[in-house]
Amino acid sequence: MQMQAETNLMSDADMAEEIVIETQDVNVFYGDNHALRGVSLDIPKHQVMALIGPSGCGKSTYLRCLNRMNDTVEGCRVVGKILLDGIDIYGPQVDEVLLRARVGMVFQKPNPFPKSIYDNVAYGPRIHGLAANKDELDEIVLSSLEKAGLLKEVQDRLHSSGTGLSGGQQQRLCIARALAVRPEIILMDEPCSALDPIATAKVEELIDELKENYTIIIVTHSMQQAARVSQRTAFFHLGEIVETGPTEQIFTSPIDERTQGYITGRFG
Amino acid sequence: MTDLSNKTGGTGWNSDHFRKNLARRKRSEKRFQRIGLGAILTALTLLAILMFSIFSKGYTAFIQTSISLDVTFNEAIIDKDGTRDPEALRHANYTKLVQESLRARFPDVEGRSNLRALFGLLSNDASDTLRDMVMANPELIGQTLSVELLAGDDVDMLNKGYIDRDLAEDNRRVKDKELVWIDSLKEEGQIVTHFNSGFFTNGDSREPEKAGIAGAMVGSFYTLLITMLLSFPIGVMTAIYLEEFAPRNKFNDLIEVNINNLAAVPSIVFGLLGLAIFLNVAHLPRSAPLVGGLTLALMTLPTIIIASRAAIRAVPDSIRQAALGLGASKQQAAFHHVLPLSMPGILTGTIIGLAQALGETAPLLMIGMVAFIADIPGGINDPATVMPVQIFLWADSPERAFVEKTSGAIMVLLAFLVLMNALAVFLRKKFERRW
Repeated sequence: MQMQAETNLMSDADMAEEIVIETQDVNVFYGDNHALRGVSLDIPKHQVMALIGPSGCGKSTYLRCLNRMNDTVEGCRVVGKILLDGIDIYGPQVDEVLLRARVGMVFQKPNPFPKSIYDNVAYGPRIHGLAANKDELDEIVLSSLEKAGLLKEVQDRLHSSGTGLSGGQQQRLCIARALAVRPEIILMDEPCSALDPIATAKVEELIDELKENYTIIIVTHSMQQAARVSQRTAFFHLGEIVETGPTEQIFTSPIDERTQGYITGRFG
Repeated sequence: MTDLSNKTGGTGWNSDHFRKNLARRKRSEKRFQRIGLGAILTALTLLAILMFSIFSKGYTAFIQTSISLDVTFNEAIIDKDGTRDPEALRHANYTKLVQESLRARFPDVEGRSNLRALFGLLSNDASDTLRDMVMANPELIGQTLSVELLAGDDVDMLNKGYIDRDLAEDNRRVKDKELVWIDSLKEEGQIVTHFNSGFFTNGDSREPEKAGIAGAMVGSFYTLLITMLLSFPIGVMTAIYLEEFAPRNKFNDLIEVNINNLAAVPSIVFGLLGLAIFLNVAHLPRSAPLVGGLTLALMTLPTIIIASRAAIRAVPDSIRQAALGLGASKQQAAFHHVLPLSMPGILTGTIIGLAQALGETAPLLMIGMVAFIADIPGGINDPATVMPVQIFLWADSPERAFVEKTSGAIMVLLAFLVLMNALAVFLRKKFERRW
């Protein structure tokens, strides 16, 4: 296994990046439906990895394997190895609650809790006991909102409802909420699909800033978005990874015919 | 085809067939609206008739007729030794005092049967009233006071116009000689009417003029308290477990089917269950609110579970995902987010279930809460009855005066039900959150 990981790394030929997540031959089944077929993918640290592909190709399924959100789906079975810093996250010593604190997630539809903006961001630190007192909690909330680029807009109404914000603000609030738990990796499942172009631009800008400190894996249907924000791209098709590599390479000189077909809009 | 104004020919949207079909659809829509409106109007009319019948019969239950008499607190009758010993005062013959007062008012009445009819003008509660006065203030002894004493139910009924004076004397509850006395009292302004506070403070009684619903109200309160304390937490916890934690398998499907069936089981069956388990096996006290509450809790549980499950299911999955994605455990997601968000629906379901329990009679008949109980229950183990059973008992009583009591009690019960439903609406509005 170790050998294989190394060869993968070398064949990438790009540079000797530090790999955070190693996926080895992962298969996912929903009941009898074989949703993900032998997916192997290495995710480098502090970069944005874009997952693209037509609907139903398994990219969201793959994303949800990384923080074990698939565990909550009835009848879902994951086979294979997903190593986070060399430790199998489906192994017995890994607790999914702790895992989800390390691997945060932002969903397709902005889903703030129907509570105040402050309570939304403070919820994660509260349940994990990250703040010893009120001042520390305030500090975490404010810095998370700052990192998500939302602080200026909501500074004077921290205690009004999070659901009263606009769609783009709500999504950035969800990002702030994820950041407040101090994750290492952030998974984003089509975070801009429900947003208008201006809000999308803001979120993309934010993703670009966040990659300094976080590893980001983003599922997107927008080729332009993938091209704009990501350093590496993986193309999924029918539950398999067809091609993966530096984003530039995927979009300019894809090796596989199917990749080329998809990015030029001939199918998918 | 080219002529769009052509009304007779054409194809597609312009064809005769299309126009005819459109007219038919419009007619069908109008018809449906009219039928719907008609159904609602019929229901409202029937409800109005019901309400009118109850209110017109029942409002007099809140009015009480009394007779104002000059009572001489004769020391020779009350306390002939002059000791003012409370024990002696309690057991003195106050009935004689009442009778003396009536004889003083009508000195020319003679003969045993005539005198008995005369004494019948007043309720036998009158002597208790005098005793209470003397016990509270022994100074009264020796004085003469004008005291308002509760009239008997026949006088009350006559005063409220329920007894027809034109009937033949044989068919009339109030005889001619009594009519003369009553009219004489009326002329002197000695017949007075008041708000019937006793209706709300007295327990049940064989004498209609003394009967009140306080006992039934307190009984209902204790019973419902037990029901609520048991069925609300158990029902909500069950709903959370089934919705949020239980795996989908055959066993849980079976549980679900059974809960749905239980909600449709006739309530008297729960009464039989209560009789078999709580009385015959557990030997809990008969006729007690404890047993009534346990039985009604069994009956209310399915309602609460079904309503709570529906409310929990209505919470968007994105909220659960958001919490789980932050590293909340399943239990934290359920109790921090799902439960608070489903609370309005849960509370509405619970209050509707409890309102149902408040109006339930049949299961309580099985566990002995149908007994005649004059005392107001002091706890959950005392014999008691509840409001709907009280209504049932009074509706079954032969005295004319119990008719208005029945309607009056129904009005009180309806008032409680309206109050509970208003509370449900209020709580729903208060806890409602939008997202």
